Amino acid sequence: MVLEIHGHAVALLVRLVAEVCKEKEIPYEVVSVAVYKGEHKSPAFKEFQPFGQVPYINDDGFILYESRAICRYLVKKYEGQGTPGLVPTDPKSEALFEQAASVEYSNFYPFALGIAAEKIIKKHRGLEAGEARVKELLTNLNAKLDAYEVILGKQAYLAGESVTLADLFHLPYAAIVIEEVGFDVLANRPNVARWWQAISSRPAWQAVKASA
Amino acid sequence: MVLKIHGFPISICTKRVALICREKNIPYELVTVNMLEGAHKGEAHTKVQHFGQVPFIEDDGFVLYESRAISRYLTKKYASQGTQGLIPTEPKAEALFEQAASIELTNFDPIGNGIADENIFKGLRGEQPDTKRVSQLVALLEEKVKGYEAILSKQPYLAGDHITLADLFHLPFGYMFSQMGIDALEKQPSVARWWKEISERESWLAVKDGVA
Repeated sequence: MVLEIHGHAVALLVRLVAEVCKEKEIPYEVVSVAVYKGEHKSPAFKEFQPFGQVPYINDDGFILYESRAICRYLVKKYEGQGTPGLVPTDPKSEALFEQAASVEYSNFYPFALGIAAEKIIKKHRGLEAGEARVKELLTNLNAKLDAYEVILGKQAYLAGESVTLADLFHLPYAAIVIEEVGFDVLANRPNVARWWQAISSRPAWQAVKASA
Repeated sequence: MVLKIHGFPISICTKRVALICREKNIPYELVTVNMLEGAHKGEAHTKVQHFGQVPFIEDDGFVLYESRAISRYLTKKYASQGTQGLIPTEPKAEALFEQAASIELTNFDPIGNGIADENIFKGLRGEQPDTKRVSQLVALLEEKVKGYEAILSKQPYLAGDHITLADLFHLPFGYMFSQMGIDALEKQPSVARWWKEISERESWLAVKDGVA
């Protein structure tokens, strides 16, 4: 059975899972969930994902949700193929990967998600972006990216010299902030700019950036 | 060399690391970073933890930050001692652990951070809390707890039949909620059972009111 990714093909975190599938050469099929009709909030859907969120995967009957957990599972399952080292196994390298993965989650995602919610999601719903909130989020994001600039001045990627899931986890929401909304967060940050160029030009991301 | 935790006694994330050390019988020494005097933003600290946050650890010269990354590293390093199975190793059990760990990150932690900012940190910055935002966050928490109820009505812990880091990671913010009179975790029966049980663990009781 081909891996099923249940969600909307353009949903950001569906595209994240698809990107990792491409990195690891895993065939997949997107099974569409009508989020615009609220299908993800239905009792039938919540049997699979109790928080009413997308995506979840069905891997030969094994159900898993939370995109970052899905990515980790697939990388480990298909260790022997595709891009190597996305989750390191040597204890210290693994610890530095976990540090970077946690940085993505706590120091990048809340601000990028907030910006996406104000500028993109609200627009889809015909609502005005809260500009004061956007300004606050952008101020915070810029402060965090100053720290990224220091880290990426010492090493090529967030966990060390090789790309890992911690870098890739940034792709969908960083693309929103930098490309779709167009905030110039790379200005005066040559190391972050170099890193962004490296990860966003990966063929696996190019293949899914418009749609999984 | 004894493990050094550079942190602040009542910091949520410092408590999280100390909790895991206790679960795994790892001796530690707290090196106080005086957050009330802004020591975490000073150069001595930020040259190690570039985001100006606590805690970080020094383990025989190996420096690591992000409390969940530290917790994972120590759990794996000391796998054979203390509480067993905090990170499962069988592939599907590990995937379900990662799912549960991600649930904590995406569905619980942001609410904890938001409420802490309003009710604690704003006061320290001389700002007024936004009580409407706190109410919204509490309402969101109660909604999320319904998702937790669906999971915990079928199994004793978030990742399955055994306690893992995913359950333990909830303790610091969960305790903060109860101290503020936010009783969301007691409103659903299975969640209340789980919450009571993990809150009574010796390792948590030893650090819940401050790490020494």
